[in-house]
Amino acid sequence: MRTHPPTTDPLDTYTLNMGPQHPSTHGVLRLLLTLRGEEIVTAEPVIGYSHRAHEKMAENRTYAQFLPNTSRQDYLSGMIYNFAWVEAVEKMAGIPVPERALVARVILAEFNRIASHLLWIGAFLLDLGAPTPFLYCWDDREAILFLLESVTGSRLTYASGRFGGLARDLDADFPRRAREVIAKLRARWPEYDRLIEDNVIFRNRAIGVGVLTRDQCRSYGVTGPTLRGSGVPYDVRKAEPYGAYPRFEFDIPTRPEGDVFARYWVRVQEMRQSVRIIEQALDQLPGGPFLEPGSIGVKKRLKLPVGTQYYAVESARGHYGILLVSEGGAEPYRAKFRTPSYPNLAVLTEAMPGTLVADAVAILGSTDLVMPEVDR
Amino acid sequence: MDALGASVSAPTEHPFSGAAEARWVAPGRLVEASRVLREAGYFFESMTCVDRIAAHGVFELIYTFNRWEAASRVAFRVWAPATEPVPSISGVFGAANWNEREAWEFYGLAFSGHPNLTWLLLPEGTEFHPLLKSFTAPPASSYDDSLTAPPPPDDAHPPAHH
Repeated sequence: MRTHPPTTDPLDTYTLNMGPQHPSTHGVLRLLLTLRGEEIVTAEPVIGYSHRAHEKMAENRTYAQFLPNTSRQDYLSGMIYNFAWVEAVEKMAGIPVPERALVARVILAEFNRIASHLLWIGAFLLDLGAPTPFLYCWDDREAILFLLESVTGSRLTYASGRFGGLARDLDADFPRRAREVIAKLRARWPEYDRLIEDNVIFRNRAIGVGVLTRDQCRSYGVTGPTLRGSGVPYDVRKAEPYGAYPRFEFDIPTRPEGDVFARYWVRVQEMRQSVRIIEQALDQLPGGPFLEPGSIGVKKRLKLPVGTQYYAVESARGHYGILLVSEGGAEPYRAKFRTPSYPNLAVLTEAMPGTLVADAVAILGSTDLVMPEVDR
Repeated sequence: MDALGASVSAPTEHPFSGAAEARWVAPGRLVEASRVLREAGYFFESMTCVDRIAAHGVFELIYTFNRWEAASRVAFRVWAPATEPVPSISGVFGAANWNEREAWEFYGLAFSGHPNLTWLLLPEGTEFHPLLKSFTAPPASSYDDSLTAPPPPDDAHPPAHH
C-alpha cells in the first residue's frame, strides 16, 4: 500500500486535526494525522475528553453504590459491564447465585450484545456514506431495547444486577416477547446480507483496508471482534467460561484477513451466535428464585476479604477485565477497569500509517470504539 | 521464567486470585521478564498501579499477560519504591505505552526509557495525581482559567443600550 518511504521531513508533510468533534469519531476522540498528500504518515489519538474518574469513584463508594457507574463505562453494552462487576464481587465474596439468575443474565447480556452490534453496523455504514442500513438497524435495536426496558426499567444504562442475582425477575411473558424479537431479527438477516455484504461500494471500501496483523494484536492486547477479524478465535466466554456460558453451544466466528471487511463480517456472524445462545437459554430457563434468598441487599454493607482478584468477561467490544484490590473494607481499595476499546484504539498508531486519509474513517469505525469506555 | 531469576520473594502476604500464576518481579528484571512472555506468545492484558505509600512507601504495579490459545493468565507484581523510576516495557509490548502514561499522570510514578511520558487522560499541564490516596480534590482553579485570569478591561464589554 505504501508508495513512498516514511518521512518525518516537516516540509514534506502537514498535520491534519480530526476531531474531537467529528461525526465519525462517535464520541469525543481527536486524531492528529501527519499526512503526505493523502497518505497517513503518523496517527496519534488524543483521548481523555470524557474521562470521569470511574476508578477514583470506585474507591469512594461501597460495592453496591458503584453499580450504576458500571454501565456508564460502555453505554452500548452496559448490561455486560454491570453483570461483570456483580460477578467479580460475588466471586471474591463467595456469594451464591441461583440458577435462574445465571441463565437470565446470559439472556439479557446476549440481547445487549446484539443491540450493541446493530448500533455499530448502522453507525459504521453511516460513516461510509450509507444511511439506509442505519434506519433498519435502529428499528431492530429498538425492539431489543424495548424488551430489556420491560425487565430492567432502563434503555441504556442498566443497573439490574444484584450481588446474588437480579433486581427483578423475568416475567412469565418474557420468553414469548423474546422469541418475537428474535423472529424479527432473523427475518432481517438476509436483507442485511444483500444490502451490505454484497454491496460493491461497501466491499471496495472495506476489503484489504486497515489490516491488523496478529503480532500487532498481541503487542497491544487487541481483543473482541477486532481480534477475531484477524483470525484469532479468542473469546473470554470460551477461554475462561463464566456464569452459565459453559452449558450453551456456540461458535466463535473468525476470519483471517484482518481487514475492515473481516471485522464487519465477524460482528454480523456473532449476532447469529448470540441468538443461538439466547434460544438455548430460553429453553433451559430454570424456575426458582431470581435472587439468592437472604442475599446481601444493596443497603447492607458488604465487605470483601483482603486480596486482589482479576475477573474477565467478553463484552461486545472484547475482553473486559476488573482488577479488584480489597483491604477488607466496605469500599474497594483499588478498582482497575481493563476496557477493550483502549488497546483497540492504541493499536491504530501502528495500523494507520501507510493508509489513505479516506480510509481513516473506515478503519476507525471498524474497531467499534466507545470513547467513554476508553477514557473511563 | 525461573531460569531468569526474575522472581523476588514476596514482600507482602496479600493474596492474588484469578491468575494461573502470580509472581513477584524485581523492577530491574521487568523488561527481560516481559520479553520472555512476549516471545512465548503472550499478549498484554492489563496494568494496574496500587498506592501502598502509607503502609509501605511503595507503589504495587500489577501487570497481567494472557494467551489466546489455552488461556493462562500470568501476573507480574512489582514492588516499586515511590521515588525511583520503573523501567518501561513499552519497547516490548506496545500497549504499555499508554498504560505507563496513565500510571505516571495518576500516581506520579516515572518510567525510565518511555518514549513519550506525558498526559493521556488528564488535561495537559495537570499538576496533581488524582489516584493517590492522599489526593482529595483539585485546586479550585485547576480547570477554569476564568478564576485566575485578570478581569477584562471595563471597555471590553460596554453596557447594552436600547
